[in-house]
Amino acid sequence: MLGGDKIRTEHLTAYYGPKPAISDVTLGFAEHAVSAIIGPSGCGKSTLIRCLNRMHETVPRTRVEGQVVLDGEDIYQLDPVRVRRRVGMVFQKPNPFVTMSIYNNVSAALRFNGRPSREETDRQVVRSLQQAALWDEVKDRIDAPAVSLSGGQQQRLCIARALAAEPEVLLMDEPCSALDPIATAKIEELIKKLKEEYTVIIVTHNMQQAARVADNTAFMYIGKLIEFGPTEDLFERPKESLTEAYITGRFG
Amino acid sequence: MNADPLADTGRPRGYDLEIRQLKTRAVAMGEWALGMVHDGWRAFSAGDLSAAQAVLDRGAELDRLDEDIEHAAIAFLVLRQPTAGDLRTAAGLLKITTHLDRVGRLGFDMARITTAGPPAGPVELRELLERMDSVVESMVHQCLEALGHDRADLARELFRRDDEVDQLHREANRIILRELRAKTSDTPRVADTLLVARHFERIADNACKVGEKTVYALTGQRRSEYLPRHRYIPYALETPTTAPGTTEHPPPG
Repeated sequence: MLGGDKIRTEHLTAYYGPKPAISDVTLGFAEHAVSAIIGPSGCGKSTLIRCLNRMHETVPRTRVEGQVVLDGEDIYQLDPVRVRRRVGMVFQKPNPFVTMSIYNNVSAALRFNGRPSREETDRQVVRSLQQAALWDEVKDRIDAPAVSLSGGQQQRLCIARALAAEPEVLLMDEPCSALDPIATAKIEELIKKLKEEYTVIIVTHNMQQAARVADNTAFMYIGKLIEFGPTEDLFERPKESLTEAYITGRFG
Repeated sequence: MNADPLADTGRPRGYDLEIRQLKTRAVAMGEWALGMVHDGWRAFSAGDLSAAQAVLDRGAELDRLDEDIEHAAIAFLVLRQPTAGDLRTAAGLLKITTHLDRVGRLGFDMARITTAGPPAGPVELRELLERMDSVVESMVHQCLEALGHDRADLARELFRRDDEVDQLHREANRIILRELRAKTSDTPRVADTLLVARHFERIADNACKVGEKTVYALTGQRRSEYLPRHRYIPYALETPTTAPGTTEHPPPG
């Protein structure tokens, strides 16, 4: 571990209707580190990270048991909007606000923190775009429609939008699955850089991506956490035979 | 989703085949290297120059086998991007072939220093060297058996046998130095036996390294996890109770 846990789950079980999608997951995510969650489709990876910012409960007939502790506080005892500001999320498919410009996509997120002045908004937009490694590519067309950007640029715009809300934890659900290898490489470089200021948790189907970007990796199977540890150990000599079988392609 | 994923063999067929082929080729290379040791020693001990030449002529094939396996292992790493046991096997084979190449090279070196004529040194020295040859050839066989048949248990046993070779090596050195001081034998040829004894000792060390990498590939265990490193002291300070060969965990080089 690179530091203490920024956010952790304690015996977390999440249901869709009567059926648990994840069961009794206890897992700590180190601060200023990238943690990856891998596992076959339907294993509960996305459900797990959606519990970390209370997105899971936005789906009807869902419920959660156990705790998610952020800096010592159970997030289920806090205001969900405030939780989602502190724990930002980037989704699988780039989802910029299609009717808005590049600038407005990022500045929209600033309204979570009140209504800053024009100068402050400008400063924050530039900072967020720089952190998302997009500024140099868009600085001359900041008022162009967001949809004029390529897929990779749109995803970095979504990351900039998430960062503009000044989260402490950034959740990324398959952020590169819709991108080509060059755009993927840029996002991966960005993820490694982002951990200097944020705690990053990424769900990915791409095991090589987990190996490239993550300090720690968790393997989940049928809603259970099977193994969690330093990425190098998990991919070089996993402790559990199920992990070995999955990462060597014997199922999944 | 499969109910029992551990029973599933749903990987591309070529994948498992490639790993098996890599191991098979490494074992074949090891057998080639072992043949060079066997014949190199026979040529040296019999003073047979034509037999020595035949061993030297096999060096190029040893190089080719080494390069071919290295190429195949790197291609496997790049194209398959293996993990866990597959990764350890491919990475381990890159090192294993280096050690097997050294085994063959040491047989080559015995052939290289062969001179015509009857064996050098007293009978007890020749018997000792025969004994060393027998043990180290058997150790190379064993490490190849471990590699080819996924036998970590056989690989771990090698360290104990290396202890015997170290003891034989020291005994051979003692006799050779005695002969050199007495000047009763053909001095240059007796001096060559110092090298041969040393080559046998190195072959045993390389067999142990192959065993070590095989255990790693099969189990993920590093040597330090199952065999604490022996603390060495200068030979001059050793007492009979601490001499190599009497310890539980003998020192490979």
